[in-house]
Amino acid sequence: MAVQGDEQSILRDPALFYWILFPITVVMILTGILRHYATVLMNTPPKSSSTLAESRERHALLRGVNLRNHACAVLDREAFEARKNYLVSGFRSGSFLKDPDNRGQPPANPMTDPKGMEAMMGMLKGNMMMMIPQTLIMSWINAFFSGFVILKLPFPLTIRFKSMLQSGVMTRDLDVQWVSSLSWYFLNLMGLQSVFGFILGSDNAANQMAQQVGMANPAAMMNPMQPGQDPDKLFLAEAENLEVMEHFSILNGIEERVLQNFLTAVN
Amino acid sequence: MALVEAREVNGSDLISALHLSQQAPAILGHNPANASVTSSTSSADTAEEYGRIEQLFLACLRTGDDKSAHACLDRLSHRFGLANERVMGLRGLYEEATAKDNSALEKCLEEYEKVLSENPVNVPIMKRRVALLRSLNRSPDAIAALIQLLDAVPTDAEAWCELADLYQAQGLGAQAIFSLEEALLIAPNAWNIHARLGELLYVCTSSAESDAPRLAGKSVQHFCRSIELCDDYLRGYYGLVLASSHMLEKEYAHEKFPEAVTASKSILAQLKRLGLQKMGDIVRSRSVDDQHWASSRSELIAAKELLNRFEKSRS
Repeated sequence: MAVQGDEQSILRDPALFYWILFPITVVMILTGILRHYATVLMNTPPKSSSTLAESRERHALLRGVNLRNHACAVLDREAFEARKNYLVSGFRSGSFLKDPDNRGQPPANPMTDPKGMEAMMGMLKGNMMMMIPQTLIMSWINAFFSGFVILKLPFPLTIRFKSMLQSGVMTRDLDVQWVSSLSWYFLNLMGLQSVFGFILGSDNAANQMAQQVGMANPAAMMNPMQPGQDPDKLFLAEAENLEVMEHFSILNGIEERVLQNFLTAVN
Repeated sequence: MALVEAREVNGSDLISALHLSQQAPAILGHNPANASVTSSTSSADTAEEYGRIEQLFLACLRTGDDKSAHACLDRLSHRFGLANERVMGLRGLYEEATAKDNSALEKCLEEYEKVLSENPVNVPIMKRRVALLRSLNRSPDAIAALIQLLDAVPTDAEAWCELADLYQAQGLGAQAIFSLEEALLIAPNAWNIHARLGELLYVCTSSAESDAPRLAGKSVQHFCRSIELCDDYLRGYYGLVLASSHMLEKEYAHEKFPEAVTASKSILAQLKRLGLQKMGDIVRSRSVDDQHWASSRSELIAAKELLNRFEKSRS
């Protein structure tokens, strides 16, 4: 154990800075930029629905939610009851479903459904974009630079940081201020987000996609359902939510309220 | 005749649209189409920038500046490709606007049908088709097409409003009311739709005799709501005064209909007084600041006329 207060001094070759610290940082930044552009290139925009029935299935749920949330501000009792009955019976009978005949059957295996396959490929691609460069760089660092102590932090730290800052260096007595090359890689991995933000614009890896969506029709793009979810189950749950709903309207007695508010404001 | 009417209805926007489209050369000039290729990652390539160009396109079309409109359209299709649904919709709009006669419009319609047969859920094109059917005076077809659209996308407030308008033009009051209520369910705080629904209900009272008291009461309620949501909303006060005085005249107040939800006579009278007072205030303050309110001058004139009418009937 190092004696507290006694500065450890290690003589470092300045070449360590030029040939390890600096290259790791540059490589990390370049990989980040490359990954950004690769993500943009490989990203497929979310598929909008291809048939009318599919679009209806997507939006029907939203309609129920809208009715539940906003009925109190708009509808009187009769109109509300009529809509509620329509939506509940529609949800129950499955008439909003894409293909009502397939109702009740277990959801198709996403591997056989081409659309589910596509969604999963999208997720896989995104994960690959993260995984492959990281594995490559980490094995590169492990192969060439493992065991180097390359940096001394200018401030003291507690012993807990040892595992974070000195991975790959198996010494018990080295002061925590010293940073190993592998740990420098991890620090870069976590801490370069703001640098990327500076280089690539505010929300990197997403800003170009946001534009594409902005130009497309937002209503048609929206898909409240995750792939693999059974819309029928969601519909039945929504029907139950609607059934237990009690109607009230803020339009009842609005005349008195307006009078009260505005007469006090006028006088 | 229809054109003149359209001018008057949209008169409010026409002035601002003219101002906008006069700036077209300046906006389009500083970043010409070929420059956008090289600067595709620069700050100009944002969603807001293209939203602005789209609005400029619409303003240019309205004011007859077809050349600038075409330049806008070129930039949009250059960036997003000709197959983009929204760009397709805008292109259709341009074709319709520059069509010389009815046969050209028919050709646009055929084009839309072809696009829709390839991709049945191309919402912008579906909307263009509805608008085109309407401008060809084929309202029943337009309604059918719109219902088909709404069946697929029932959460589109714009389409519900258009459907309400179509129904009202056909004299189907109840259906129009239903459509506007659906639009309100999607945007519950839109005070202009509340006022519009109030107007619709007020109009329907004259045709539906048996249901008139209930409709008139609801009309007053919706006008109240629009005023509550937006301070100094002239249209809301105008409707409130009309609807409440109508109810007072016909004695719809709830001494006669105890089960109805309408307000009592004294409250209606107070509402009418409040509406008149507020309208007077608004008209006075806006007449002073004439330039600023130039776009809503027609509303102001109508409000003045209503105030005069009530002055006369009192004296």
